[in-house]
Amino acid sequence: MAEVFAVAGVFETQQALLSAVSKLRSRWQGKLEAYTPYPVHGLEEALGLKRTPVAGMVLVMGVLGTITAYLFQWWMNAYDYPIVVGGKPLNSWQAFVPIMFEVTVLFASFTAWLGALILLCRLPSLWHPMLESASMPKITRDRFALAIESRGEALDQGAAQASLKDAGAQEIEVIPFPPEPKPVSLTFLLGLSGAGALSAVFAGLGMYWTIKLFPVLPPMDRMLEQPRLDAQRSYPLFKDTGGFAPHPQGTVARGSLPYDFKTPEQAQVLSNPLPRTKAVLAKGKNKYDTICRVCHGPLADGKPSLTKAYGATPANLLGKKFLSYTDGSIYHTLMRGKNSMPSFERYMTQDERWAVIHYVRALQRAGNAKDTDLP
Amino acid sequence: MAPEPLLAQGLTPGSLDDQVLAVPERRPPVSWIAAFAFTASLAGIGLLCMAYTLYTGIGAWGNNRPVVWAFDIINFVFWIGIGHAGTLISAILLMFRQRWRNSISRFAEAMTIFAVMVAGMFPLLHLGRPWINFWLFPYPNQRGLWPNFRSPLMWDVFAVSTYFSVSLLFWYLGLIPDLASLRDRANGWRKAVYTVLSLGWRGAASHWQHYEKAYTVLAGLATGLVLSVHSVVSFDFAVSLVPGWHMTIFPPYFVVGAIFSGFAMVVLGLLVVRSTLGMSNIITDRHLDLANKVVLGTSCLMAYSYLLEGFTAWYSMNPYIHHAFKNYVHGVYGWAGWLAIVCNVFIPQVYWSAKARASVPVMVGVSLAVLLGMWMERFVIIVISLHQDFLPSSWGIYKPTLVDFGILLGSFGIFFSLVLLFSRLLPVVTTTELKSDLAKASAATHG
Repeated sequence: MAEVFAVAGVFETQQALLSAVSKLRSRWQGKLEAYTPYPVHGLEEALGLKRTPVAGMVLVMGVLGTITAYLFQWWMNAYDYPIVVGGKPLNSWQAFVPIMFEVTVLFASFTAWLGALILLCRLPSLWHPMLESASMPKITRDRFALAIESRGEALDQGAAQASLKDAGAQEIEVIPFPPEPKPVSLTFLLGLSGAGALSAVFAGLGMYWTIKLFPVLPPMDRMLEQPRLDAQRSYPLFKDTGGFAPHPQGTVARGSLPYDFKTPEQAQVLSNPLPRTKAVLAKGKNKYDTICRVCHGPLADGKPSLTKAYGATPANLLGKKFLSYTDGSIYHTLMRGKNSMPSFERYMTQDERWAVIHYVRALQRAGNAKDTDLP
Repeated sequence: MAPEPLLAQGLTPGSLDDQVLAVPERRPPVSWIAAFAFTASLAGIGLLCMAYTLYTGIGAWGNNRPVVWAFDIINFVFWIGIGHAGTLISAILLMFRQRWRNSISRFAEAMTIFAVMVAGMFPLLHLGRPWINFWLFPYPNQRGLWPNFRSPLMWDVFAVSTYFSVSLLFWYLGLIPDLASLRDRANGWRKAVYTVLSLGWRGAASHWQHYEKAYTVLAGLATGLVLSVHSVVSFDFAVSLVPGWHMTIFPPYFVVGAIFSGFAMVVLGLLVVRSTLGMSNIITDRHLDLANKVVLGTSCLMAYSYLLEGFTAWYSMNPYIHHAFKNYVHGVYGWAGWLAIVCNVFIPQVYWSAKARASVPVMVGVSLAVLLGMWMERFVIIVISLHQDFLPSSWGIYKPTLVDFGILLGSFGIFFSLVLLFSRLLPVVTTTELKSDLAKASAATHG
């Protein structure tokens, strides 16, 4: 005798079903299951089902939702990224209440839905023996079925059929287990994992495209289209299509005197036009730290933060050679570069160059301090 | 006089299935295709206008200082409100054991979902750059920033997205047994699709008890949720300092307005579904009568809210609020204020007559008037309050553009296209609940 899932009897009304359940309950203890088109009240008591734990699950998860919502709002707005808004305290819990309520409902609802259907009813179960039975279309329409299920033990089919007939079932159906599904082949599994990996890659690329590339495609890039001058672009405003007009002939722009010296010796005639004030030294320090420090080091001693991989050996400005340099020679070096040092003409204004020279002088003085300098 | 029965005589659980579940199995008639073509072309106009907005920027709309919120936010509040009737019918009336909800709850819930979908588009479009809408959500980012949870706009994000998720869960939970019925009537690929959609539901008693409890719990949660959602939407206004917005009456006032307009839409939708699908034995005059009574009741509540709003304005002794209220009915947009009052307070009063509640032309007229009136009310609240606030030097006039109207039209197109699709693809009536009702009724008559 082949193993069967259940023997089911179909009844016309819910009253007939309820009376059948009470007749068969003692004989088929723990093996009865009823199938109905809509919830029939009194059936769970008649079948002796345990009370459903859905409400308790929802309560627990709802409370967890409240706590979670409070904690994340507190953490984000009062701890991790505290900003004062409208003079309110950082932990303004009253303002957190609406979101606490919403998250409570969200957690509770998902718990009710997933908990009832997935956890408790064990759905989706798309290959259940009942779904293949002839009784199923009747049940989902308007009939009621009572099944005596084998539940892993041998079922006395004859006795079950007799009991159901005795209880007034109109039709009786023996419901077999559906044929054993074929074992999953290795190729299928490989194909499945390949498809999974491929779709993960596609999903990642899609996400990247959506977030990184899509926003800068036209027309989304219209925010970037602004009437302004960009470097290395031509503009029709001037005749030579450059972004900036050349100086008219015979004029000198403010703060950029023409510089015609060819050698440091020629430039010795220049003298520092700036006074040695606190403000000038501060400006010089600022520029030195921004531009010069990376190679010559914070103390101008040629011990920079550059690694050896850079390849050049920056000069130690505290050495005798540089102490003997005039301000003009240093100015020429800044303008024209020296050895592997490039020209810094474009990175500093005229005044800034002279301020840096004052600051370098101060560093030289500090680096070669003598005992007699002490007061 | 005994009330008319809710369902027509001669309906049995089996015949109910044959009538309701046969709809998705048939090919749609020409009239449906024509109607869908019409609504889909409206939707197309709307989508074109949205595309144009995205291409040119928000400047395509009439919004500008001082009226920085206009059609976009009006439509958002309006459509969210339309959705509220669905949740009220499916959840609150379930809690109060109003059995008449059973015939109309599925349709109303579907309306909720579609209305919230349509509503959700507007804040996104209003962002100007909707492709970075995820900035609204608290997600870990390289910039180390978090949103400001003290802002009502942030509450809105959470309220509306929770509302949509919970409505969808609730609606789908109700659909599962009906999908199982459809599965058992179908063959071939349809059977496979319905099997997956119904999760293999088999109506076991041990499942029904979890199912019923989950359904009731979801109804209870949705009840609290529906009251909170429009309250939170009203906080967007009430928490600000704009005269005419800064009022404690706003949350209940918005919720009542939402239910009011939502029921008008439900009545309109039910009339269409009932006549096109031939369901007057399931959705009877009694259902419409009861829904119209809700419209009448909420209309009276709206009148009360208007009076109380006026009283609050007067009692505040605040010249700015006084001005805002005079402006509602006397200013440049005075016609809008009057239109809202007439449509929302006076026209629905015809429902005191039982004959009016049963007459289809009256129902259509009143429902359309209510929808117009409630849209105008949001116009009044948003545009009139903004266009003249504290400083006369920054007063201004708002004029919508054609694109604004195109998107408004498109929102109706999208909504009705979805409703039409739903009415052909899924059972519009919750057969499970009605079967239970029919069984009870027959047990009562046959002893």
